[in-house]
Amino acid sequence: MEGHQRNLYLYERFNARVVGVSRDDVTTLKYWGDGLGVTFPLLSNVTGFLGVYFQTQPEGQPIFGRRTVIIDKKGIIRYVRDGSPEFKDILLFLKKLNQEGGRP
Amino acid sequence: MKRKAFLMLCMMLMGMWLSACATTQTVQKPYRMSSQGTVIWEDEFEFMPPPPDWKLLRPEEGGDINFGFMRSDPGGFPSMTTFAYDEEPFGCTAASFEGREKEFFKRFLFNAIVNFEVLERKKVRVVGGEGLQVDVEGKDPVKGEKVRARVIFGKRGERIVGFYITQWRPMDGTYDMTAFDIFDRFVNSFKFLKKSFYETL
Repeated sequence: MEGHQRNLYLYERFNARVVGVSRDDVTTLKYWGDGLGVTFPLLSNVTGFLGVYFQTQPEGQPIFGRRTVIIDKKGIIRYVRDGSPEFKDILLFLKKLNQEGGRP
Repeated sequence: MKRKAFLMLCMMLMGMWLSACATTQTVQKPYRMSSQGTVIWEDEFEFMPPPPDWKLLRPEEGGDINFGFMRSDPGGFPSMTTFAYDEEPFGCTAASFEGREKEFFKRFLFNAIVNFEVLERKKVRVVGGEGLQVDVEGKDPVKGEKVRARVIFGKRGERIVGFYITQWRPMDGTYDMTAFDIFDRFVNSFKFLKKSFYETL
């Protein structure tokens, strides 16, 4: 999350917005986000339906797996990577997407 | 005759197999030395290296630092000194050095659980621009250990980068400030040879 926060000025340059999603409740996320200094939205999805939708919910586990998804302005998923975010990869992809007019 | 030919074929195959195994893999160093005695690191940074008794530190993947150096010091555990250059020092939102300092010290040596006391804070010139130097001492009365550290924040383009040295000692140990002089020489000699990835976006 700190990496995304550091890159916010670049995301804005590429007309992208970042949103975090977690199964933690709102109070926990607020405390956690404030502690890290995160200013972008963190969505609480306690029931976990977003994890099912994005296929990041390991079967039988109450947490989401880490997955980065980039959705373009038409709502089409253009980028999916599992694990820790590859920030340089993400930035290059957003730059390309912005140049081709497919604003995220 | 047939048996000889078969043996020859076996030997040839064995020879081919062994030569394939013997293929040497060249490990490329990430640095080279300049004629002035400085290190050129991945054609991106140039700096004066520490003396040869300092070992190179490199994270295998995704570590907290870009690279650094460490030295075991005389004296009981945990007597050692490390210093490093870091493109992504802890913290994220603060645009000012002072703000970044607050963020940084929430996480710096966080698994050691030491109480930091700021010894000195001053503005400095670093990597061709303004910077902030903070000297701290931390103590862990439970383990009977202490650490002295110097953190220097500078800028590379729009982003804050950091240099830091930590020197650990048992609580009754004495710090070796010559290591800090070596660190200062490293920092003062540090140059960016090209734009960072972020500056090229």
